[in-house]
Amino acid sequence: MLGRFDYQRPSTLPEAGRLLAGNDGPAAVLAGGTDLLVDIRGRRHDPRILVDIKRIDALRRLDVDSAGALTIGAAVPLNEIIERAAIRRTLPGLVQAAESIATYQLRNRATAVGNLCNASPAADMAPILLALGADLMAWSPHGERTMPLSSLFVGVKKTCLAADEIATELRILAPEPGLRSGFLKQQRLRGHDLAVSSAAGTYAPSTGVLRLAVGSCAPTPLLLEPIEVGRSSKAVVEEKAVRAVQAAMRPISDTRASADYRRAVLPVLVKRLVADLLAEGGAP
Amino acid sequence: MTRELRVVGTSVLRDDAIDKVTGAARYTTDLAFPGMLHAAILTSPHASARIVHVDLEAARAVPGVRAVLAGSDLDVRLGLYLRDKRILARDVVRYQGEPVAAVAADTLDAAREACRRIRVEYDELPAVFDPRDAMAADAPLVHPDLASYDHMRGVFFPKPGTNVAHHQKIRKGDVRASLAAADVRIEASFYNPPVQHVPMETHASIAQALPESRVEIWTSSQSPYTVRHLLSACLGLPHAAIRVHVPYVGGGFGGKAGLGLEPLATVLSRAAGGRPVLVTATREQEFNTTPSRQGLHSTIKIGATRDGRITALEATYVWDAGAYADYGVNVGRAAAYSGAGPYAIDHCSIDSYVVYTNKVYGTAYRGFGHLEVLWGIERAMDQMARKLGLDPAEFRRRNLLKEGATTITGELFTAGHGKPVECLDAVAKAIDWGRPSGAPSAPHKVRGKGIAMLHKAPAMPTYTSCAAVIKLDEDGAADVLVSGVDYGQGTYTVLRQIAAEELGLPIGKVHLTWDCDTALTPYDWQTVASRFSYMGGNAVIEAAADCLRQLTAVAAQALGVAPETIVCQDEVAFPAAEPDRAISYKDLALGYTFPNGNAIGGPIIGHGRFIATGLTHLDPETGQGRPAQFWTYGAHAVEIEVDTETGEIEILHIATAVDAGKVLNPLSCTGQVIGGVVQGLGSTLLEGFQFDDKGRLLNPSFVDYKIPTAKDLPRRMTPIFLENPQSGGPYGARGVAEHPMISVPSAIGNALADALGIDYTVLPLSPERVLLGIQKREKTP
Amino acid sequence: MVNGHMETASVPSGLTLLEFLRDRLYLTGTKEGCGIGECGACTVLLDEKPVTACLVLAVEADGCTVETVEGEAADGQLSVLQRAFVETGAVQCGFCTPGMIMSARGLLRRDPNPSDNEIVEAMAGNLCRCTGYAAILEAVRLAAVAVAAQRAAGPLTGETVGSQPAAETLMGETGTERRRFLRGAESTRKDGRR
Repeated sequence: MLGRFDYQRPSTLPEAGRLLAGNDGPAAVLAGGTDLLVDIRGRRHDPRILVDIKRIDALRRLDVDSAGALTIGAAVPLNEIIERAAIRRTLPGLVQAAESIATYQLRNRATAVGNLCNASPAADMAPILLALGADLMAWSPHGERTMPLSSLFVGVKKTCLAADEIATELRILAPEPGLRSGFLKQQRLRGHDLAVSSAAGTYAPSTGVLRLAVGSCAPTPLLLEPIEVGRSSKAVVEEKAVRAVQAAMRPISDTRASADYRRAVLPVLVKRLVADLLAEGGAP
Repeated sequence: MTRELRVVGTSVLRDDAIDKVTGAARYTTDLAFPGMLHAAILTSPHASARIVHVDLEAARAVPGVRAVLAGSDLDVRLGLYLRDKRILARDVVRYQGEPVAAVAADTLDAAREACRRIRVEYDELPAVFDPRDAMAADAPLVHPDLASYDHMRGVFFPKPGTNVAHHQKIRKGDVRASLAAADVRIEASFYNPPVQHVPMETHASIAQALPESRVEIWTSSQSPYTVRHLLSACLGLPHAAIRVHVPYVGGGFGGKAGLGLEPLATVLSRAAGGRPVLVTATREQEFNTTPSRQGLHSTIKIGATRDGRITALEATYVWDAGAYADYGVNVGRAAAYSGAGPYAIDHCSIDSYVVYTNKVYGTAYRGFGHLEVLWGIERAMDQMARKLGLDPAEFRRRNLLKEGATTITGELFTAGHGKPVECLDAVAKAIDWGRPSGAPSAPHKVRGKGIAMLHKAPAMPTYTSCAAVIKLDEDGAADVLVSGVDYGQGTYTVLRQIAAEELGLPIGKVHLTWDCDTALTPYDWQTVASRFSYMGGNAVIEAAADCLRQLTAVAAQALGVAPETIVCQDEVAFPAAEPDRAISYKDLALGYTFPNGNAIGGPIIGHGRFIATGLTHLDPETGQGRPAQFWTYGAHAVEIEVDTETGEIEILHIATAVDAGKVLNPLSCTGQVIGGVVQGLGSTLLEGFQFDDKGRLLNPSFVDYKIPTAKDLPRRMTPIFLENPQSGGPYGARGVAEHPMISVPSAIGNALADALGIDYTVLPLSPERVLLGIQKREKTP
Repeated sequence: MVNGHMETASVPSGLTLLEFLRDRLYLTGTKEGCGIGECGACTVLLDEKPVTACLVLAVEADGCTVETVEGEAADGQLSVLQRAFVETGAVQCGFCTPGMIMSARGLLRRDPNPSDNEIVEAMAGNLCRCTGYAAILEAVRLAAVAVAAQRAAGPLTGETVGSQPAAETLMGETGTERRRFLRGAESTRKDGRR
């Protein structure tokens, strides 16, 4: 057995809220479980009650409206995002990030919102969603709030969510026409791995704005200041982006990589990503 | 040798695969017995500490707990070649991850809960982690009592008062003078980190203590008889008191060759009043508690003439044994007598030190030290070739062992040894060696080619033996019984082929019992060292001959002809001149019955055996002698592409040639090569233990210990087999199971040097190491 | 539903689906290799999707269909997929094999004619230490092609053919597919010379 805890499967948010707020000790929200159950098994986390949100219909939404605005419910597994043709078409960067996570089997369980709420500096969904300017909706018995995703992360494995608060969905505004997006991740091997470093970005030719975010190089994923591409040459923009990343990153050494390697490889990812995004006829 | 073979040499499919694809195959952890208890192990958080006090009371109080043991309850020592180890640490712990206490309970959850409640008070002791430091005069001693340990005398030479568990010397000619006189010299140092075998099935054993100190064991092991023998020595029991079963085994690669969890399961079962106890290593324990492959520091000096002939080689190998000797001492021995590569060298001196440290201990791992020493040797050969201005393949060709040469232990190289040069030429041709690579796929990428030789002989006692029994069934089919274990390599299918070939039976009528059982299946030393098809194959040939003698005798009497006239083939026996008088095996297998009811003969059971012949212990001072039943030679050639901005290496093509002597089953041999190469890629690109400064293992899980996945394959792999017959091998065959893994790192390291002009000396060649190497070169003008 | 049988049980919340299958239903074909979803040895189909049973709670599977390796052969006859594993040499120690079979089954159900990349993507979450994967990837390709060939050839009797893994059948149908993942693998030489 993984541990001793109670399991509840509410079908509404208020019911889930009551369970989370109950007085039977620490509670945890269970979505895909691919981080939570591993932590419980390793005794890094010892909740008394798991509140499974996968049967709450409101959290199973994966909608793309006619303009391309996207809503990703907290119970939507990554493979659903990956397999949705409309998303593959409009936001390839989001799909690339999702596809880089773990294995096919785990992506049938793991959710995008769960990946964010686990608040790992290496969360692969974070950079692209930051670059896309995603908002996160959170619900609690005291009300609902919307926050920019960047405010979710407060430290390594720490979010701003309250104990009785449930992240319910991600909202991404309709992309500017022709928006390009991309995600690059450095791993130790081609097979499933956590990111040594990652970079994601969007570029809207219509506005000339380049947005970049990076992962695994600071206690939280980092959204960089937008870059006005204007009439600058690709080399100049690349250089600007690389300098911005170098100024912002605070990498550590761990079992996956040394700070030196992260410092060396992240600018490479950023440079390549920018080159892809700015390329004439680059993937939308 | 012109005999037409029907079955041997064809790709007979494995019959065990049917059990395995359906889930019917039962591995140790799939077994369940009435009343079976589950065990959990408490391991040491410290690398070196005195155990001051162990409090087991709270653990005993957990409901469902049936037995709780600590090292102080068990005053026995175990070990393979050197008895230096305890079932549970007693008085001191010598590595982080060492078992300190264990619990058997009705459920695994209760056992784990009880383990968590055990309180152990430690007093930390000085520790030593680098084997080179451990050789210093003032180093903390991992085993202060080394002098008092039993060990295999005449073969291993522990140095009491030091951390040296074994020192193997090889001395041939006058290396000092030859090095001094050489036209060209190189010296280089290399390092391999400790790595894990990573069988998909972790270690698992079930033991049931029986009355009168008997015990019955079911275990995931490569060596049922060795488990029995070592357990008998450790517990002071007669062999017959111990019965060891080996069901299907989910991979071993050497890690399950010796004694594993069997002693712990045994003492727990005893303490639990004879209830069967299952002990399973968690994946974390598989990394951190069960043994690994030793790390190695090598320093190699080579001298050569200007025209490219190697005149002298001097090497020092310092093995990181970890806390216990286990197979490590024999790895240090075997890798020393192979430690100059497959080259003819007149002047050679090798010192191989197996040195205790406070880390998880080392054992046998596919290749048995050869991947490690050849990482240095084959990289050094390239450096020498470069210094001489010679093509690395041509330099090797000039120096490889050829008929009439002698090895560094004084063994004469004959035609029956195989042809290393042909292996080299085959792989060179396969990757268009000598022609420049095609254009890289991007401006920031570069390509390179590399080549490396490999060789290995079984490392085994001079008197290693095994036996096979074949019994004929009522329907004339044959059952083969052996105690070597097929833990994936496919030997059982090969033995079935051999029995079918020799007995004149279709392959479908030859069966092999999968469950080894020391009470029922005949002796085999161990399933290690790529010697099972060779030795077991010879034993099966002899057992089949024994069956045929018995069949012939009964048929001759039944037919009233001389036995010499009887021919056995296609499931019948008949006089050569009168094929129409054939009697089917079915009518002979249990005895022949005449029309009047009289019967002769009886159930036919053939017995065959094999013992290593002509081997000698190595001279303690010079290492001269004959250590090897046979040698297998091979080579890899690779072409790689390196991303100079991220440090990633992609293998475009790897060609592997092995002189198999005779390919007994092409599908199986190909499987060994592909599997071995990919496992070798793990050692090359990914794998290595990381420790913190307190000696704690930092990557004991698949999250941070990565092995190759299906996405990590080379773009192309080319297995090539040569068939230069082995004298004494079954149909001329020699072992090929370990070899494909050896020298994969060397070939890739050589290709990397070709691509980048940088000599990497430390494994793994991770993107990080490669990139930081490129940056360092850019900074040094 | 587990392999087509309705199973009813009351289990502790902390019990994993893997433990439930192995310890309660005695379906020991599904293996535990790591317990943290990294190795794929415990892959089963949950509502037709491959998942690692070590990271699914048994209670989460309430009301779902579960398929394990034991459900793959019908009436004691190997499926085409299983036969393909046997015939390509995709099985060595066999411990990863049940998980491999289930990953492949999940793939072939959602896409009976997968591309090479899709095969790799679907199988890469299952670790194998013996085979070097090439034969496993071949086996999945072979199974897809063999089933397609059978469909084209005429009436189908499910996906099950024959009881003996006769080398000729599958291989014969798909000779050119045989070495797709082992490009360049040379045939065994008998003469010791090139």
